[in-house]
Amino acid sequence: MARGIERETAVTPSREYEKQLVGRALADDRLALRKLVELHKDRLFSFIWRMARNHHDAEEICQEAFLKAFASLDTFSSEYRFSTWLFTIGYRVCLNHLRRKRALTGELDFTALPHERHGALPASIESEEAGRLKELVWSAVDRLSAPQRATLVLFYRHELSCHEMAQVLELPVATVKSHLHRARHRLRELLESVTEHELQEFRNRAGAAG
Amino acid sequence: MRCEQARQLFDAYLDGELSGALATELGAHRVKCPECRRALALMEVSGHIVASDRDPVVLHGQFADRLLACTDRKPIRSWDRLRRGLYIAGPLAAAAVVALAVLGVFDRPVRFAGKRVEGQPRPDVSSPEHSAEAPATGRSLDEHLLEEWLKETQENLAAKRDSGESLQRHFELTISQMLDILKQARVASDGTDHVPGADGQVPASPPEPAPADDEDVEDL
Ligand SMILES: [Zn+2]
Repeated sequence: MARGIERETAVTPSREYEKQLVGRALADDRLALRKLVELHKDRLFSFIWRMARNHHDAEEICQEAFLKAFASLDTFSSEYRFSTWLFTIGYRVCLNHLRRKRALTGELDFTALPHERHGALPASIESEEAGRLKELVWSAVDRLSAPQRATLVLFYRHELSCHEMAQVLELPVATVKSHLHRARHRLRELLESVTEHELQEFRNRAGAAG
Repeated sequence: MRCEQARQLFDAYLDGELSGALATELGAHRVKCPECRRALALMEVSGHIVASDRDPVVLHGQFADRLLACTDRKPIRSWDRLRRGLYIAGPLAAAAVVALAVLGVFDRPVRFAGKRVEGQPRPDVSSPEHSAEAPATGRSLDEHLLEEWLKETQENLAAKRDSGESLQRHFELTISQMLDILKQARVASDGTDHVPGADGQVPASPPEPAPADDEDVEDL
């Protein structure tokens, strides 16, 4: 199973702690605001960068998301995780950004903008083939629609449940599932050239790398 | 189990929602069928890569400082307004220049304030010598200088972001830069150091800065 694989995730604060922080932030406690930013900025950026595929834009979007979140902090309901709520705002801002960008590039007939590198530079243990496979997978992910890409990244990378994804994307759970399933289907089409042997090699190496 | 049946179970399996007899059957089919084995392996490896491949980029180290600096002097409610103000500043300056060009203010080449870095002496455009020097060219606007100024404003914005300087300060600077432009345009066109009817004022009716699709996220 792909789920449950170890990954670099920040420690998730408890709901009670989040609630406390939000309460203090509302009382204009600067330290609490800073703590909220520190706890969530990297995860939000990681998600937004995978959506926007541009470092500068992703930072701008994250900043706007935090500012919007803080501006409406009094409407935050503690029945949500703060991170889910923040991701919801970030996703909205990001969609608007993508829409604007598409409108702009469409109108001016730009060729596709160059995307930034997909993955980290290959570690010494990583073979050229593994690097190539990663590049292929991320390139395919880039070709998915925004909701398809969002569900794939949120499900695998951020380990959100379908229910949580539905909150972030502000869509019914069934629609979210359908986006995730279509994303997988599309990946299968786009990665048709990848052989079973390559996949097995990758798994062996990933296993060996720990 | 046939391939077609197996394929219908892929998503439930990958979602972690398949158990019992069906999971066992799918497992058995996978061992026998190279095509389904490859398809499932492809999805699992892709999921693994999406889950665990390290990002090649990280958020700027001073992100939190910069963000909190934006919130320093203003109560939370007005942050958004302030941010929007910043967004207005750049386009507004350009719009002011273009509007003046349309109105025919720039019947002579305009010297833009953009070249002047803060702290350096500004060119003495109010001197009679300078006014006399500016030849009438018939062009309504020097696009090259305008482009230069816009690029510089863009760079300034980026620099402000990098240094974490407060947005409000930058807004003030941009406004005063715009006023410089208006002033110099006026000097260049009629030799008087006076902006008509609005000394020290920003031109009325700034263009609406927010794109239409921004409105639906304002309700958050
Ligand atoms: Zn099969």
